[in-house]
Amino acid sequence: MGVVKRKSPVFSFIRYVLVVIVVCWALFLLYWGVVTSLKPPAETFTISGISIPFVQFKPTAENWRIELSTRESRSALLNSIIVAIAATAIALSLGLPAGYALARFQFRRVKNRDLTVWFLSQRVLPPVAVVIPFFLIMRSLHLLDHVLGLILINATFTLPFAVVIMRQTFQELPIELEEAAAVDGCSDFDAFWKISLPLAVPTLVAVAAICVAFTWNEFLFALSISSLKAKTFPVYLAGAEDTRGVQFWFIATRTILAMGPPVVLALFIQKYIVRGLTFGAVKG
Amino acid sequence: MAALRSKRIKYFFILPSIIWVFAFTLFPLIYSLTLSFFKVRLGKPLTFVGLFNFGRILQDYKLAHSLKVTLAYVAITVAIQVVLGLLLALLFHQEIKGKTIWRALLILPIFCTPVAVGYLGLTVFYEEGGPVNSILMSLFNLKIPWLSHPTWAWVSVLLLDIWQWTPFCFLVILAGLQSLSEEVYDAAYIDSSSEWQIFRKITFPLIQPVIIIVLLLRLIESFKIFDIIFSLTGGGPGTATEVYSLYTYRTGLRFFDFGYASALSYLLLAIVMVVVNLFFRRIRQVYE
Repeated sequence: MGVVKRKSPVFSFIRYVLVVIVVCWALFLLYWGVVTSLKPPAETFTISGISIPFVQFKPTAENWRIELSTRESRSALLNSIIVAIAATAIALSLGLPAGYALARFQFRRVKNRDLTVWFLSQRVLPPVAVVIPFFLIMRSLHLLDHVLGLILINATFTLPFAVVIMRQTFQELPIELEEAAAVDGCSDFDAFWKISLPLAVPTLVAVAAICVAFTWNEFLFALSISSLKAKTFPVYLAGAEDTRGVQFWFIATRTILAMGPPVVLALFIQKYIVRGLTFGAVKG
Repeated sequence: MAALRSKRIKYFFILPSIIWVFAFTLFPLIYSLTLSFFKVRLGKPLTFVGLFNFGRILQDYKLAHSLKVTLAYVAITVAIQVVLGLLLALLFHQEIKGKTIWRALLILPIFCTPVAVGYLGLTVFYEEGGPVNSILMSLFNLKIPWLSHPTWAWVSVLLLDIWQWTPFCFLVILAGLQSLSEEVYDAAYIDSSSEWQIFRKITFPLIQPVIIIVLLLRLIESFKIFDIIFSLTGGGPGTATEVYSLYTYRTGLRFFDFGYASALSYLLLAIVMVVVNLFFRRIRQVYE
């Protein structure tokens, strides 16, 4: 592992202090959001410093109860869930076979490598570059403020994850298994479906989690093409500020509610995050 | 690559994706290119204006400002994130108990909804008694106008972005460090080189490819910045933090100047392409 072994306890102590400082820094915003969401509104601005719950104030679930009983909030959550799951399903069902084809077959006219980079180039595209055509296209398809519009767009922007990461996964699976199956009279499709796919399931789950997280966090398109009934949670969150002023207890509750699902998903796919977020360029 | 088969079924596997990308990426891009040559008003026929929209770019001082803001933002955040990420990775590459748990906690910011990060920033940087100011107040008797002063608003945006994406750089560089073999180091220790020399002559050259990938990914993503600024400062105060994406978004979807906004988005695309092209050979090697 190339681990440098220091004998000195002083160095070791400093090291742990640094680690703790860094982790506190990384978690501070989340901590602050959770704590503020648990404060009684009347005390939001009177509790000073870092506001330790139980010590400096008595936490209350009241903000959460109000937030979760708001109809607008629940409908935004539901929209976010629908869009995330449907977009991920499309991205995977397109990207999985494409990734497999790029790993297992030889393309002549355009090389496999260039096709992969072509799929990947979509992530390079700044979303704002296509937000106007998407708005006009969705308008003429009568899909403005409709979850279907958001599903199509998000499927498009998460597709590169599915293609590129699945390609790499299939490349790493031994081809001998499929060859042996072919000798036994297994068709090409079955070689993919029954032999390789089951072996690729762990990565598939991780890719799905990444697609869900990215779709969940997507804001620009949701803001542009949804206004009322298709509003996703981040758009609802953004609307909350100007309608209700500086009511930090609600803002905090909503931000934590918005961040919760992707953050929890991340905890489950630790092993695959590096590979997933670097499109397989770095293996974790 | 010799084992790769060449069969009909491959088209069945790959064509749906290719068609999808043509329909939902290339078509909108071409459509947007066409729009940039027209004056577009909702509900009215298009008027061809030739290169008029592109001509406007040259005289648009607000655009020049937002471009400057964006480039400065990209350069500063990416540089800080990569350097901090490297330092953190080196820290975590030592013997630390419970490393997996620390690491898992440290990378949570990556997955936080960016627009929500901006709103949390709003509560954290709140000037009258927000946590940051009240800590600064009690320690240094300092009150910083985080959101009302143009420069400080800038700093708040940078801080939030650095908070969110340094963990990404850290995580990837750490993965790079952990993939290095131990034998190289053993040899170096026998030669009794100093820590700094080992880093400069062995570690750094070996993880350079990983650092380049991190750099590239962060550059690409940073040009997209929209969410945090939208929620934290709304481009303000004034237009101090109005980045390119926000300016284009407003031109197109607040002032409904679709033609000009399309021209603007092509300029951004061109800039990003130039940056990516600097790395293109490296990218192709990765996907060999």
